[in-house]
Amino acid sequence: MTLEKTTLRLGYIPLTDCLPLVVAQEQGFFAAHGLTVELCCEASWANIRDKLIVGHLDGAQVLAPMLLAASLGLGGLRKPMLTAFSLGLNGNGITVSNRLFAELRQHSVSDSALDAAQALATVVHSRTANDQDPLVIATVFPFSSHNYLLRYWLSAAGIDPTRDIKLVALPPQQMVDNLRLEHIDAFCVGEPWNSCAVAMGLGRCLVTGYEIWQNGPEKVFGVTEQWHEENPNTHAAVLRALDQAAAWIENNLSAALQLLDRGHYVEVPLEWLAQPLTGDLRVGLAQNRRDAESFHVFHRYMANFPWRSQAQWFLQQMQRWRQIPADTDIAAVAARVYRADFYRDVFESTRSLPLLDMKPEGEHESAWTMAGTKGDVTIGPDRFIGGAIFQPLQSDS
Amino acid sequence: MTAKSKALTVMLVDDQPARAALLEQALLDHSYKVIARLSSAEGLAGQVARLQPDVIIIDIESPDRDTLEHMTSLHRDNPRPVVMFSEEGDTKAIERAMRAGVSAYIVDGLNPARVKTIVDVAVARFREYQALRRELEETRTQLADRKQIDRAKGLLMKQRGLDEQQAYNAMRKMAMDRGQRLAEVAGNIIAVFELLDN
Repeated sequence: MTLEKTTLRLGYIPLTDCLPLVVAQEQGFFAAHGLTVELCCEASWANIRDKLIVGHLDGAQVLAPMLLAASLGLGGLRKPMLTAFSLGLNGNGITVSNRLFAELRQHSVSDSALDAAQALATVVHSRTANDQDPLVIATVFPFSSHNYLLRYWLSAAGIDPTRDIKLVALPPQQMVDNLRLEHIDAFCVGEPWNSCAVAMGLGRCLVTGYEIWQNGPEKVFGVTEQWHEENPNTHAAVLRALDQAAAWIENNLSAALQLLDRGHYVEVPLEWLAQPLTGDLRVGLAQNRRDAESFHVFHRYMANFPWRSQAQWFLQQMQRWRQIPADTDIAAVAARVYRADFYRDVFESTRSLPLLDMKPEGEHESAWTMAGTKGDVTIGPDRFIGGAIFQPLQSDS
Repeated sequence: MTAKSKALTVMLVDDQPARAALLEQALLDHSYKVIARLSSAEGLAGQVARLQPDVIIIDIESPDRDTLEHMTSLHRDNPRPVVMFSEEGDTKAIERAMRAGVSAYIVDGLNPARVKTIVDVAVARFREYQALRRELEETRTQLADRKQIDRAKGLLMKQRGLDEQQAYNAMRKMAMDRGQRLAEVAGNIIAVFELLDN
């Protein structure tokens, strides 16, 4: 199989979940697959998207909903984009300022994520009643899992995210500073920025993304459809290297974090990077420990498979919040952007893969098995806060 | 001079002060009014809300771009044209970005002589795009409202044995009594029937 292109520029944002790219580079997995890769640190998600579109980057760590948005022409640019590889599950957290945390504690009944949202609702509604400014909460991008998870959690307690609070977007690396300057009261962001705010004594982590959607998909490896069509063999080689990296991280987590630190990919102290994975990051109104799994899953549970049902869920949220019209053909868009077929082409000879590209989301409270091509495959828990179940939509075509 | 009162107001976002100063001078030479020059992390969202610039010019490498994109995606935050500049932009890349439908412009480096054309074209393109979008949204809302009203009318006719005119009149009266739009009343009726159905 000849590679169409061997020298690549791949973009990333300094976050713990850029790890598969970093490990593939530092452990020589890209090189082993015939690739010379330059990893480019980018300043914003919009920049990553634009550079992919104009061809300054070959591929990148991207927000999954951003690929859907760009393919639909939201946010100015329209260009079909796709992913055939998810970089992992979970990784987000919601952190609140110390002042807000103290206020929430007065209204808390239990330590559940739903209860935390209800305590927040009490605060939000009393601010409205007293004519105070609404709380300001930051996410990273209008088309991001962060935005949809945060809104989902707020809605679960009857908070209207468009009316009751003020939502802003900030790049991940600016979250902590904005919390310190009191520009914002809370944020929803990926690691290590929750740990960072906590370690600096600026806030408390209130909820993990896992508590809103267990093992929800996070960043994906994204390229333009055009790039994929011009470089299918190179794309496959990148995915093999990333898969090798994801499997390696699963067994060498602390060594992987050291690579992140030593290579200055993420400029925060190593012990902060490690906090959620050693269970040292306290979470919730009662500030208890959480499993490492509720922060990062890099490989197990079919974490890298691009489930079309998950793309459909994002599109449904985009409809719910009126970012896209109600008549958008969700099944068709998801099928074009989430290329489970290409993942199958690359990996089907090496392992058992699920028989279907979609699954109901939200049915399982613990790990479960589903039929695969070479025997059963294990999938993680997938419950939503509030217990709703998302049934995938069948494509008409 | 009347031109002065109509001068477009510009906000500049750049982390490199020397470059920003150069661009500001070029803008002033073309009688734009530069109302703020920020570096990133200076609370862009608040500044835009307070100063209401006509145009925002931002370095493509600025971390503030995600903040800006969020603001323009919200209806309540009056969107405005954004001009981006990049030093590594080559002509081909700009062409590709334009074909992809970028409402902003990517400037290759900073050629002061081209600033006026670029800002003017960006503003014109933006206005055109906004008008189109508004039209599309209005059509879509009207269509969705129509469907909703018809469905609620159908439900009332079926469940309450009303004829079409009676169902419509009942809904109109309710809308007037409550000061709601007809489509909102229809939505409530549908929600109630769905609840009873379950």
